[in-house]
Amino acid sequence: MARRRVDVLVVAIFFLSLLWATPARAEIPSLLTPGVLTWGGDQEGGGPYVYPADDDPRRVVGFEVELADELAARLGLRARFLQGQWDRMPDLLRARKCDIVLNGYEWMPARLDVMEATIPYYVFGLQLLARDTGEITSWGDLERPFAQGRRRIGVLAASAAEKYLQSRPSLAIEIVSYDGSTDAMREVETGKLDATLQDTPAATFYRSRFPRLRAVGAPVGHGYYVVYAQEGQKALVRRLNEALLAMIDEGRIEAIYRAYGIWNDAQRELGDIARSGRFYGYSKEWHDRPAVTKRGVRDGPPERRVEITARKRGFEVVRAYGGVLLQSAGLTLVLSCLSFPLAVLAGLFIAMGRLYGPAWLRAPLAVYVEFLRGTPVMLQLFFIFFFLPEVGINVPAFWTAILGLSVNYSAYESEIYRAGLSAVPKGQMEAALALGMSRPLALRRIIVPQAVRIVVPPVVNDFIALFKDTSVCSVVTLVELTKRFSVLSQSTQATTELMAMTAVLYLVMSYPLSLVSRRLELGAGKAPS
Amino acid sequence: MIEVQGLCKRFGAVDVLSDLSLSVDKGKVAAIIGPSGGGKSTFLRCINGLESFERGHVRVGDDVLVSSDSARQRAERLRAIRRKVGFVFQQFNLFPHLDVIGNIVEAPLRVLGHERASAVGEAVRLLERVGLADKKSALPHELSGGQQQRVAIARALAMRPEVLLLDEPTSALDPVMAAEVMSVITELASAGQTMIVVTHQLALVRAIADTVHVFAGGRRVEYGPTAAVFESPAHDITRAFLHKLQAW
Repeated sequence: MARRRVDVLVVAIFFLSLLWATPARAEIPSLLTPGVLTWGGDQEGGGPYVYPADDDPRRVVGFEVELADELAARLGLRARFLQGQWDRMPDLLRARKCDIVLNGYEWMPARLDVMEATIPYYVFGLQLLARDTGEITSWGDLERPFAQGRRRIGVLAASAAEKYLQSRPSLAIEIVSYDGSTDAMREVETGKLDATLQDTPAATFYRSRFPRLRAVGAPVGHGYYVVYAQEGQKALVRRLNEALLAMIDEGRIEAIYRAYGIWNDAQRELGDIARSGRFYGYSKEWHDRPAVTKRGVRDGPPERRVEITARKRGFEVVRAYGGVLLQSAGLTLVLSCLSFPLAVLAGLFIAMGRLYGPAWLRAPLAVYVEFLRGTPVMLQLFFIFFFLPEVGINVPAFWTAILGLSVNYSAYESEIYRAGLSAVPKGQMEAALALGMSRPLALRRIIVPQAVRIVVPPVVNDFIALFKDTSVCSVVTLVELTKRFSVLSQSTQATTELMAMTAVLYLVMSYPLSLVSRRLELGAGKAPS
Repeated sequence: MIEVQGLCKRFGAVDVLSDLSLSVDKGKVAAIIGPSGGGKSTFLRCINGLESFERGHVRVGDDVLVSSDSARQRAERLRAIRRKVGFVFQQFNLFPHLDVIGNIVEAPLRVLGHERASAVGEAVRLLERVGLADKKSALPHELSGGQQQRVAIARALAMRPEVLLLDEPTSALDPVMAAEVMSVITELASAGQTMIVVTHQLALVRAIADTVHVFAGGRRVEYGPTAAVFESPAHDITRAFLHKLQAW
């Protein structure tokens, strides 16, 4: 009997070990959400990378969206897009807010210290674009001093183009940074900039939107877009590399790029990398992998073409984007209405603690107030969202915004209340104490009700300010009204209409508050029952 | 009833009160007079703990406030003493956000835990007593100074204090309004309310005070029955002070 059991055990172990030994498939990378590949990108960067879909601005499209979907599918996962600020992508990874970054991020040795990189998925160059009126016809024109001083060249902030220009001190130029690529293109058209240096995909994709721009010279520079993953996610990178190789070999990459009009001869290098194994991080073990039968792109799905639609105008814009702007305004409203009452409450306790609390409490509260007033709310949000995860505290984006805004505003509120409480004559507290009231009772019944009347106008003022300050929450991946405006304006160029709608929405939200404030001020003169 | 012994208070190097003593029997009225800056108001404010003191003690009935009390003991004793001692301020200090009835019933409701109906009934009786029955729902800023001070007196009386301290109750008022307030205070005295009043109104002192205490430079320079002090003052300061006031 015992013997039989041992046999069964041996057989079981044998099969189990077979299961474990099964290569590749058994390597399960640890993901934020099991079964989901969360990838970070910024739709404000615009086409053709990731941008709001024309028919439904809540959805994102772009060649990187298709790439992410297909990569995820090949890993047996579902892709989920995480909206973040483009220049904050490495922080998103470090804070474990997404699994990968796939958004026109260049392969750079310095980045490899903090992130893992895949093999390239696109070979890009930098295209100089200038007005077709011909002031600038070659790179040489940028070196010559110019009557009105330095030429102004627009670039995407922290991009390869910015670094390229910085590395050429012989150019007599001033570099101007933008958060999106089309802003710079528009400013060249309108004359505020002399030229813009753009990654080739953006320069190609938006050519039809900016008919007055002309390419100056051939693309310069030469870089690789790669997918970045969290440091130590070797298994994930290995599987992404396998999937990318397969997509390159099977012509899927070519098909997607052709659809967006960004396929060019430079991309043939992708295949060379795959075949020769010449790339950083491209391990020898795959060099010897069995050859994949290369199917030409002709065998793939019929070629389609993703075009940008003509620029919408006037009420067309209102119809197309009113809904999504309204939705983002809803987020702005929720953020404000949740964080402000918390700020008011915390501020009240801080003010009371500083005015009437025990001596040991006053100094820390003063430090709290001065620290929070003296540092930007953006930095505080950043600290909560990107730094706290390093010490094991992971606050989701929405609650980061609520926490950050309410903590920041509690400092301002407390100062208002302190002023209001101090403005109540000293005799009021004395009269209350002389009647036998305790300090807390005197505060609650006599001092605070009088202070409230004094502080209503500045507090409402603060609330209105908070409304507009919610726009900084885009650093923690929230798309509130201002961010939505930026995103849409980058991809549609309907800036005037979108700006007007955004302004009206802010006004509609804040004006009633002014009315409420006025009513409260008037009411302060009357007696409560 | 109320007894203050050896009270000393310093502000930095300055002796504001030096070794002050004073006692008042139940139903009696003591008046404190003297030149400005003599420590009269400070002394009064020490009795109910609005000011602290370095030495001496204050006894009201069985409750004793000692300078050496710890903060906690002090808070407890103060609460006990403040329930027995009412205070009327020179500047009235009515609560501007509450109407007249609200001002009067606030402490009986919140401190003594009285029922609202009985507190309001009591407040109305007190208002009749100070001649303001028709001002029940007025707000403080709608009243004249004299009316405000009479409401303040009603507010103090609502706590049924064993002793009432009045700190220059008519100094912020014109003569007509001062007269209204003085007649209320006189009525209280004849009803047997124990009081200590700081005032410059010699007429009021004559009318109600059983004893007069003359303060100057933080000391009690002279005291005695009202008639004795007024008719034959023993001290130069008293003579000079009375002379100045009567010259008017």
